[in-house]
Amino acid sequence: MAFGFGRKKGTADAAESEVFPAIATIEPRRHVRVKGQIFKLKTRPSQGMPALEVTLIDDTGSVTVVWSGRRSIGGVGLGRRIIVEGVPMKGPRGLTFTNPSYELL
Amino acid sequence: MMKIVIAGAGSVGSYMAEELAKLGHGIILLDNDPAVVSRGESIPGVKFLLGDACDADVLAKAGVTDADVVAAVTGDDEDNLVVSLLSKQEFGVPRVVARVNNPKNEWMFNDMWGVDVSVSTPHLLTALVEEAVTVGSFVHLMNFEHGKAGLCEVTLAEGSPAIDRQIRDLAWPREASVVGVIRDGHVLPPNGDFVLHANDEVLVLARAEAEDDVRAVLIGS
Repeated sequence: MAFGFGRKKGTADAAESEVFPAIATIEPRRHVRVKGQIFKLKTRPSQGMPALEVTLIDDTGSVTVVWSGRRSIGGVGLGRRIIVEGVPMKGPRGLTFTNPSYELL
Repeated sequence: MMKIVIAGAGSVGSYMAEELAKLGHGIILLDNDPAVVSRGESIPGVKFLLGDACDADVLAKAGVTDADVVAAVTGDDEDNLVVSLLSKQEFGVPRVVARVNNPKNEWMFNDMWGVDVSVSTPHLLTALVEEAVTVGSFVHLMNFEHGKAGLCEVTLAEGSPAIDRQIRDLAWPREASVVGVIRDGHVLPPNGDFVLHANDEVLVLARAEAEDDVRAVLIGS
């Protein structure tokens, strides 16, 4: 099992050949790497600390990604395709990744 | 039966492990001090694992991947926060309970660090000491939902406006509920027609905003 904090090194080329699971098939508490497009982006303060909340979509569904402690992340913008890797869990906004590692495509 | 991983096999952790194992839960106790291995292994029904709970690989080995609850109860607040964060972020554990050793650190024990419920022994002790010395005053015993709701207690003084009245006749605020009354060492269920007496200990579960109104009902203003 891989544990990652922050950003993983990777190239767009490698991502081209990699097969990703459809977002609709993601299960809670299973480590997973998914690819999607940023559909929604908002800053949500949580107990006095900022948090960046992103909705990631593919053709099958959507998943929520939260990075705590920051208002923005360079390169993470609307429409951007990214790969996210981590363990999602059930949250109030559906399946949610908290502070996953990510790659910009 | 739940699968529970407890980080920290000191007196708190081993006690919890023993009690929870008796209730039939599956317990894995983690500690990085070989000296406590013998103590941990002597508890029936508890699996003991030597390792640093702040290491994600050790947590994975302990089975946090499919644990229902993780309790971070070491004597070190930093360690408890790291264990909580890893459990929530890397393993998606549904319920993370953490022990606060130094009350100054309590503000950090929240969602940001993956903590669902925090227990602060010094705060609890303060509340209990306060309870022992005060009749007729409002004692806040415990918090739920990070302080949005709480369990509070009032031992009714002779002059309380609630004395000799039925529970249902009192002007309770919304979002407050009497959960029990302790009289002469007996726990009495709070029926609506229950008549309150002096020296009754009334336990009320209430939303934080409702506490002032509860105070007015049981103590007067």
